[in-house]
Amino acid sequence: MIKKILMGIVGLAVLVLAVFLVIAWESSVDPVDPPASDQFSQQQIDRGEVISGLGNCQTCHTTDPEQPYAGGLAMPTPFGTIYTTNITPDPETGIGQWSQEAFARAMREGVDRSGSHLFPAFPYTHFTKMTDEDVADLYAYVMTREPIRTEAPENTLEFPFNIRMLQAGWKLLFFDEGRYQAEDSMSDEWNRGAYLAEGLGHCSACHSPRNQFGAEDKGQAWEGTVVNGWYAPALNESNLSPVDWTTDDAHAYLREGASPFHGVAIGSMADVVHAGLGKAPDEDVRGLAVWLSDLAGAADGEQAGSQATAAIKSAQAQLGPDPNMSQGERIYAYACASCHYNDPASPNAMRPDMSLNSAVTAPDPVNLIRATLHGVSQEDGIPQVMMPGFASALSDQEIASLLGFLRETHTDQPAWDNLEQTIRDHREQ
Amino acid sequence: MATEFQLNGQAITVDIDGDTPLLWALRDDLDQTGTKYGCGIGMCGACTVLVNGRATRSCITPVESVANATVTTIEGLDPDGEHPLQKAWVQTQTPQCGYCQSGQIMQAAAMLKDFPDPTDEQINSVMAGNLCRCMAYVRIREAIKLAAREMNGAGADNASVAGGATNE
Amino acid sequence: MNKFERYLNRPEGTETPASENTLPVSRRGFLIGAAGAGFTLAFFRSGLSFAQPEEVVEAETFDPTIWYHIFPDGRIVVNIAEAEMGQHVGTALARIVADELEADWSMVELHHVDSDPKWGLMVTGGSWSIWQNFTPLSRAGAAGRQALIEEGARLLGVSPDQCQARNSQVIAGDQSISYGDIVSQGDLSRTYSEEELKQMPIKPASQRRLIGRESRALDIPDKTDGTSQYGLDAKVEGMVYGRPLIPPTRYGSTVNSVDDSEAKSVKGYQQTIVLDDPTDTAPGWAVVIADSFHAANKAAAKVKVDWTAGDTADVSEQDILDHAVELIENPDKGSLMFSDEGVDEAFNNASDVFEQDYITHTVLHFQMEPVNALAYEKDGTWEIHTGNQWQSLILPVLAKALGVKEDKVVMRTYMLGGGFGRRLNGDYAVPAALASQQLGKPVKLVFTRDDDIRFDSPRSPSYQRMRMAFDDNGNPVGMEHHAAAGWPTQVMAPFFMPKGANDEPFDPFSAQGAAHWYSVGPHRVRPISNDLANATFRPGWLRSVGSGWINFAIESFMDEAAREAGQDPIDFRLALLKAEGKNAGEAPNSVGGASRQANVLRRVREISEWGQDMPEGTGLGVATTYGQERNMPTWTACVAKVNVNRETGRVKLEKLTLVTDAGTVVHPDGARAQVEGAALWGASMALHEGTRFENGEPVDRNLNTYTPMRIGDVPELEIEFVDSTEAAVGLGEPATTVTGPAIANAIFAAVGIRLREIPITPEAVREALQA
Ligand code: FES
Ligand code: FES
Repeated sequence: MIKKILMGIVGLAVLVLAVFLVIAWESSVDPVDPPASDQFSQQQIDRGEVISGLGNCQTCHTTDPEQPYAGGLAMPTPFGTIYTTNITPDPETGIGQWSQEAFARAMREGVDRSGSHLFPAFPYTHFTKMTDEDVADLYAYVMTREPIRTEAPENTLEFPFNIRMLQAGWKLLFFDEGRYQAEDSMSDEWNRGAYLAEGLGHCSACHSPRNQFGAEDKGQAWEGTVVNGWYAPALNESNLSPVDWTTDDAHAYLREGASPFHGVAIGSMADVVHAGLGKAPDEDVRGLAVWLSDLAGAADGEQAGSQATAAIKSAQAQLGPDPNMSQGERIYAYACASCHYNDPASPNAMRPDMSLNSAVTAPDPVNLIRATLHGVSQEDGIPQVMMPGFASALSDQEIASLLGFLRETHTDQPAWDNLEQTIRDHREQ
Repeated sequence: MATEFQLNGQAITVDIDGDTPLLWALRDDLDQTGTKYGCGIGMCGACTVLVNGRATRSCITPVESVANATVTTIEGLDPDGEHPLQKAWVQTQTPQCGYCQSGQIMQAAAMLKDFPDPTDEQINSVMAGNLCRCMAYVRIREAIKLAAREMNGAGADNASVAGGATNE
Repeated sequence: MNKFERYLNRPEGTETPASENTLPVSRRGFLIGAAGAGFTLAFFRSGLSFAQPEEVVEAETFDPTIWYHIFPDGRIVVNIAEAEMGQHVGTALARIVADELEADWSMVELHHVDSDPKWGLMVTGGSWSIWQNFTPLSRAGAAGRQALIEEGARLLGVSPDQCQARNSQVIAGDQSISYGDIVSQGDLSRTYSEEELKQMPIKPASQRRLIGRESRALDIPDKTDGTSQYGLDAKVEGMVYGRPLIPPTRYGSTVNSVDDSEAKSVKGYQQTIVLDDPTDTAPGWAVVIADSFHAANKAAAKVKVDWTAGDTADVSEQDILDHAVELIENPDKGSLMFSDEGVDEAFNNASDVFEQDYITHTVLHFQMEPVNALAYEKDGTWEIHTGNQWQSLILPVLAKALGVKEDKVVMRTYMLGGGFGRRLNGDYAVPAALASQQLGKPVKLVFTRDDDIRFDSPRSPSYQRMRMAFDDNGNPVGMEHHAAAGWPTQVMAPFFMPKGANDEPFDPFSAQGAAHWYSVGPHRVRPISNDLANATFRPGWLRSVGSGWINFAIESFMDEAAREAGQDPIDFRLALLKAEGKNAGEAPNSVGGASRQANVLRRVREISEWGQDMPEGTGLGVATTYGQERNMPTWTACVAKVNVNRETGRVKLEKLTLVTDAGTVVHPDGARAQVEGAALWGASMALHEGTRFENGEPVDRNLNTYTPMRIGDVPELEIEFVDSTEAAVGLGEPATTVTGPAIANAIFAAVGIRLREIPITPEAVREALQA
């Protein structure tokens, strides 16, 4: 149904194409010889590396860790699969021939060197807020990477979504070009965080639902959604965590990959924290934390602590060492609690407490399912802390009863629908 | 596929399928048979080892997932087998058949890092994953508390310990 | 007369004389001689004569049973032929020897021996070990002491009666010489005849220095650092791993075809073999062979076997219980373990007859170490490496399976990762041996937990009908007990079955406990073999065997009968524990008879909260038994305190108070550990575990659904032993028999509902509360 409407709308767009062409056309920027690496100062390259991390470039533009930035990562969209491009300075297959001007235009306007419109899977809608200096530093960093010769697979977008020209129309509707404008009423720290989150870090690209055109739904900004098979929780006051985010807590989460009050970063968020923010200076992470705790409705530490204690106590009150527990409770008590049990007064980030965990409160069970089935690797969450998966140990039905039990006793949220089927679907992934 | 990790303080490499459970890699390929198999589904605790210091059920842990990690088994808990827990286990005469006890001790060792002075409730919750079919539970609890006191510097309270009074 | 024969000749309820409660010592004497460097004390068969004992010992020409060996450095190695499965039996046995030997305990070591005919019957079960070995081991120790004193005196140049032995020294005034020195300098060779043995100067209890004193078990340190070797740890050069593919029924399944095409892609997979088992121990089995257990497991998931199932493929727990009821209702079925004169009259003339039925469900052993065995042939002898409790039972089966003589099979000894009776049945070694023979190389057969359970010899479900006749005054005047269950002994060791009063054999292990010490007038006990159970699975001996289910029925029933008679459950029982007539007890084993049972019952009343007001939903229940065997009674009484949640039906076991009179206690801390474990086993079977058969197999296959007691379920335990120097009896199982009925009785006291079926589930409690 949605697709039909879309087709209709796109059909209409084709009709107005003639008018539209004028607007849509972009010139190409002349190719240059790949810049010599001594053209950039080491400081600039180093700054660029931090920028790249903050922008999380490596996550999307790397498939094989041996070939960083060589692209090829599949990004499934409702319109087909888009593959990320090679952004190493290889002249033929990468961006070796791109001048800084071409690079800046791509970053901020979503147009590649040849003048083609980029798909908004590349978050130029956020990068447009970047400062000149950050763009230049990033250029320095990218152009000093090892050139890798490799072509990304062809996108598999269906007609008419594969017509890049049409992206111009999309931009008319959904793209506001322009640098970040500081909020004078807010602190410098906050503004630094907002710049990083809304611009470079493009947090809302994952944490906001998208509309039928694949654009972030401004009306539901920061409401949380499923992206690439992981649920990115709401970052605003819709966040269902029983504990409000404090700045310190958010800082710990973004710095270490874990917060005692919310759980650990897994999936793409683990990349964001470890690969992305790993090299970021603490002011930047602090800024993000200030901004995030403000967005989510900050609590002070004491309040957060007592919220956590209350949540844990209420969950633990429903557990007991009695005989004949329900199936889910039993599995939890015997297979999970040895690592996840906490003293209500002092939950330990290394023992993620299920009554505080965002995967348990989330409206979508996917994160919890994936962690339960496949575990949490040493690279996820807190570095070197791993959890084995239970895919080989427990049946879909058993995992469903376990997760259902957690949902029922550890949150005040409604039960998840079709849990067992969803688990079955994820088992093979 | 070769996986490298630190086992009881030594760098080792095992060249086996990456999906081999760590349990069997330890027992059959690395000759560390102190780690036991009881259920294979993460619900008895007999196979508990420490991975980077955290208690982990080795029966459901693919060996590839501990690449470059530090793995400690009962054989490596203490070079002389004299970890306070091991001493407390002897002093309280805890093991019966003994089969579950490597796992119990490893789980307890991890627990005492998080709960250095554990209450009964903490012991019940954390140790519930370790089945003892001989039902040596009373002594397991006692031994954990004894070791905790020892590790916290209070020293062992011999008088309260069964079998500890004499050893002629 | 060996134990088998004794059983055949000794129906339950009769006593055996003192000299018989021991290992077979008749026609045997002791021999002391030099072997290697040192002194060896061994049994020998009389009828042979030895001019030079030391040469004979050295040459091992006389098939000796070597009890212990003293080395010149003073070490004393005691040979242990019993399986070590957590009861610290080696320590207890060695302390019996060492006490009489006046040995320095710190020099004592254990050696667990491999199977060899010279050990006679090798079986560890029934809580017999201490009881059986106490006298022969004491004599062996005393013989050694006497020889050392004689030889020490000679070396010191004094007369033996000036000497005493203490702490591995022979002391005369201010001179002394160590055992080690005597061994290296003296000539200890001598023999003792059977007659001399009987005259051995066994010390009075007051002079014991080790027995009954606190000590640490010798097997424990190795169990805290991973060095203890269990069957699963066995390895040999060139072995392959086997993972069984178990057919849909225990008996009668046949393999039609095996398709391993998908398994071929598994790295390390070798082949799948189908076993041909002439002993019918593992009929219709296939075994996946691979380089590693992981590969065998992975391949097993991909091998498709097409079986024709045996007849029991549809049998359910309910079918087995329904069949039991039919059997009970047919008076021609079963054996009469005993049937006192006048039972029928008592019932015919009774003013009130009280009758109830009781059910216990299937229980899995779930010993922590799933069964396993490593088998291979070496120099013409089959080596079987596995933990086992009854080598003598499985050796002939292994020999038959392999088509070799029994002396060509040897079982190597390992620690048992739990026995509880599972490893009395060594059936798991048979498929390992067959696979190895078929492949011509060593095979280590490892059962997953799922395999272990499907091949378990579980505790059979039981159905029992209890009847009691009362006179006008409400006094019991007659009792009947009909008990139908699968019979392990019938299936695995039929030669062990005595004949009942009607000449029909019965499984003593499935009936024991029924010959209680209550004076209730004429008494009839009719054990019935449930042939449907026997055909569906191989019933097993499980910690206390029949005494477990029998006493659930008896002690629940006594409680109900007390209430029927309007009496306090303890008073009611005490009035029946009269120690008269057949219940008076006999020397040496049951001295005091029912009065000792009454004593533990009174004592448990004293130390528990019996008679006190309890909060709402909380109650106390009592049970008392003699353990298992009438001629080895372990007097046991228990008060359980439970709290019942009326809403959820959950039963919380708050406390168990136990008083045990086990006669002389050799290793007190070990004894306490046995009572702790056994009591909790009983509670676990009452409240936490139990499975049922569906489609011919147990439905619970692992801990995801099978739920034995965990640490947080453990109640407060108060355990007391009666101070006694009477005969040492068994302790591994008796406490198992009292906790279940005590809990059921406590539930009645708490909320007024009577649950006659275990395990007791919250649903059953809720249902009963609503009824
Ligand atoms: S064997 Fe790993 S938890 Fe049971
Ligand atoms: S000591 Fe035997 S299972 Fe724990």
